[in-house]
Amino acid sequence: MRLKSFKVIITFSFIILIVGLGYTQIFQGEYYQQLSVSNCIRVVPVHSNRGRILDRNGIALADTLAAFDVLVIPQELQDRDELFSFLGSVLGFGQGRIDAIYQRKRTASFAPVVIAEDVPREKAIILEENKFRFPGLLVQVRSRRHYPFGEAGAHVLGYVAKMSQERIERLKEYGYTIDGVMGYSGIEEQYDQMLRGVNGGLQIEVNNRGQQVRVLGMKVAHPGEDVMTTLDARIQQIAQTLMREQRGVIIVMNLDDGAILGMVSAPSFDPNDFASEAASNNRVRYFTDTRAPLFNRAIRGQYPPGSVFKIPVAIAGLYTKKINPHTTFVCHGSYTLGNRAFRCSHTHGAQDFTQGLGHSCNVYFFNTGLIIGPKLMEEYARLFGLGVFIKIDLPYEERGHVPHPDGFRARRWSKGDTLNFSIGQGDLLVTPIQIVNMIATVARDGRQIQPYIAQSIGAHAQPQGQVARVIHLPKNILDQVKEGLRAAVAGEGGTARAVFMKDLLVLGKTGTAQSSGNQEHHAWFVGYCPSAKTRIAFCVFLEYGGSSYNACRVSAQLLKEMKALEIL
Amino acid sequence: MLSDLKKAMWVSLMIIIVSGLLALFSASFQNSRVTQEVFYNQLVFSILGVVAIFFLGRVDHRRYYDLAYIAYGINVFLLVAIFLFGYYALGAKRWIEIFGFNFQPSEFMKLSLILALARYYTDHKPKVSFYNPWSRPAIVSDFFIPFAMTAAPAILIFKQPDLGTAILLVGIFFVMAFAAGVSTKHLGGFLGVCLLAMPILWHMMKPYQKDRLLVFLNPNVDPLGAGYTIIQSKIAIGSGQIFGKGWLSGTQNQLNFLPERHTDFIFSVIGEEWGFVGSVIVVVCFYLLILSGLRAVEQTKEKFSHLAGAGIVAIFALQVIINIGMVLGLCPIVGITLPFVSYGRSSFLVCILMFGFLLSLARQRKMF
Repeated sequence: MRLKSFKVIITFSFIILIVGLGYTQIFQGEYYQQLSVSNCIRVVPVHSNRGRILDRNGIALADTLAAFDVLVIPQELQDRDELFSFLGSVLGFGQGRIDAIYQRKRTASFAPVVIAEDVPREKAIILEENKFRFPGLLVQVRSRRHYPFGEAGAHVLGYVAKMSQERIERLKEYGYTIDGVMGYSGIEEQYDQMLRGVNGGLQIEVNNRGQQVRVLGMKVAHPGEDVMTTLDARIQQIAQTLMREQRGVIIVMNLDDGAILGMVSAPSFDPNDFASEAASNNRVRYFTDTRAPLFNRAIRGQYPPGSVFKIPVAIAGLYTKKINPHTTFVCHGSYTLGNRAFRCSHTHGAQDFTQGLGHSCNVYFFNTGLIIGPKLMEEYARLFGLGVFIKIDLPYEERGHVPHPDGFRARRWSKGDTLNFSIGQGDLLVTPIQIVNMIATVARDGRQIQPYIAQSIGAHAQPQGQVARVIHLPKNILDQVKEGLRAAVAGEGGTARAVFMKDLLVLGKTGTAQSSGNQEHHAWFVGYCPSAKTRIAFCVFLEYGGSSYNACRVSAQLLKEMKALEIL
Repeated sequence: MLSDLKKAMWVSLMIIIVSGLLALFSASFQNSRVTQEVFYNQLVFSILGVVAIFFLGRVDHRRYYDLAYIAYGINVFLLVAIFLFGYYALGAKRWIEIFGFNFQPSEFMKLSLILALARYYTDHKPKVSFYNPWSRPAIVSDFFIPFAMTAAPAILIFKQPDLGTAILLVGIFFVMAFAAGVSTKHLGGFLGVCLLAMPILWHMMKPYQKDRLLVFLNPNVDPLGAGYTIIQSKIAIGSGQIFGKGWLSGTQNQLNFLPERHTDFIFSVIGEEWGFVGSVIVVVCFYLLILSGLRAVEQTKEKFSHLAGAGIVAIFALQVIINIGMVLGLCPIVGITLPFVSYGRSSFLVCILMFGFLLSLARQRKMF
């Protein structure tokens, strides 16, 4: 019967268990007894080195350096005064101050107290050499994140900090531990898994004096991988300098493959401040500053696009044949609807399509908007990636908002709403990255490119130059629109004359968007250089920057400096 | 008068439960990480459980035949529900709350599957050796249908993720098919296929599950994570030596060196505090319990009860062997509890139900 074989197998297994018990408890019992009595197993973590973040030319944007911390273990302390006076003389503090730090931070007798962080290497070596004289003194090497370019491009890079409780809970399964640090925002967060590597450690047996007797087990730490970005450190610095006194965004993208060459959001922060204990005041300032320096306006800031939105409106009008290149509207300086006047910037007089776009005539687009209707404008806005996640490889991107005339929540959609919509005002909100994406789609004749920032992780190249979507638009329509964009920069009375350069073809569109309240207007310039050495699309956005003229001036400066560096 | 068989079963069960309670009291004694509540819960549960076993032992075991498929169906449904409503604990989604009572359907699945397979093989007798065992109908009805019945819950449980219980379910299948008399050629061939499928399974595993298997092969691979547990557990058991350190005196236990010591690693507390002598007594009690269960099954002529009993005895034996084996570092850490000893209401309740069934088989014998 088959149950017999059950009995045999079970009996055999139980014999093995008893033999196993005998072996562990009797044969090896003495050894394990020793281990347990002396409580002499220590686990020493070995942290992996975090991978670097590089720019497109291999220049480090984020690096890991060794930092030396000075600690004191209370229970091993013998001559406190002597140690503290020695520490004081090496570190250059008064003995009283060291005593004060020690008193303030001391918790338990076995818990090391941090006396000084990030001590210069020479001083660390002096301390290390004298360690034998002072029991209880400890110099610990810690890896510290360093960002050589400081504020420039801080939002794209992110920063590294201790993990919050909530993240520990969420990420425990993925091998994250409480004592670890992790990337917050930007590349540091997006590619944290690859950057961080795998921590290792040693399990050692120590004797009663705390000295290592043998290694029971060891796990090798695997360093993290380097992330090479598409950013150009030079462009980042130019953009950061231009935006120093401003609030806003500069984005520069390669037209051919969607690589982000530059992305700066201002005001910025210094990510190095998150790596050192000493800069905690700065951190508090970042979190409380009402100008929100930690906020990446390039992908998270949502603003009305103003006249920049005239580009999709123009395309919608031409494509549906509701207007044609010769359609002319007369501008008297405003458009009257009921008893309300919707103003234009100037009295432009008769305007054809190219003039209307080049002069950014509101009246021209009020008329166009009324002819094509709000639903079509909504459709084209979405077609060009507004109100849609761009899915760039950075965390916490916002989607913006395109109003939905059919299901308008606040009230019934009115003609006034249509007028506002047609010049990019009202409920329409976009992010700067969406606007760059939009102009790039026009420049690329409808072949929408996927913007990206990481070009390779370790030895693995990331997908690049991917066409996200193809919008089929007749060439003559796009040529008409491009003609208008050229006229804005190069044409007589063009709104973006300030960007005109003799030796560089620039096409683009300005935007001056009303902000809420009595604040200054937002200023936009979005454009592209189709025949430069590196073909780029770019956007300059100044939050509360006043007239679009200011954005044009910044753009001109940006292009000039890039030209001087022979990037363009 | 109790029959000898029943007497043996009761005595060994009581010794096991009491030694488990003592270990649990010690594991939670003056401790902040594992509260004493754990002990009192288990105490109440043990008392209720013994009473329940007493009554379950009087139930006619043939009644389970009718319940088999219903229990199986409800249980699979609950496993699916876990994906939708279950909540996480210790990194896995295993628990579900019904009427304010948390329980783990995966524990119950062991019993439900045994009953369902027993009924299946009772209704569809395996076609042994009369004709070519490789013929198609034999393979389908002997094999694929019951295996599908096993695979569905096993995959759901594997995804929770709970590798140990999933493996146990597959083990149940082999045991039941073997006991039912399915051709050994079939079983052997199928086992081969399963082994060949291991690389695919490996691919589907969570990193921590891979770690655990690797650590089993070489505990030094990960001395800080899973390897830490094994090393600490071995130190605990080994340092108990022959007579143990005495109750409430296990230093490994009391000093919090043992993770999970009130559930999967409870045996290391017994080993540390009661030594080789105490450990062997507990192991022998388990052995007696299992052997007398097997005796009761042997004497049951009825097909369904015979098969179900064989499955239950086998799963008991498997759990005991794997659990103690893993505590000793002889098998990988797969998160399998020690029946009647590990803390855990679902696991305890299932053990009670299973034991009650075996006891009713032992009682049946008196009718002849």
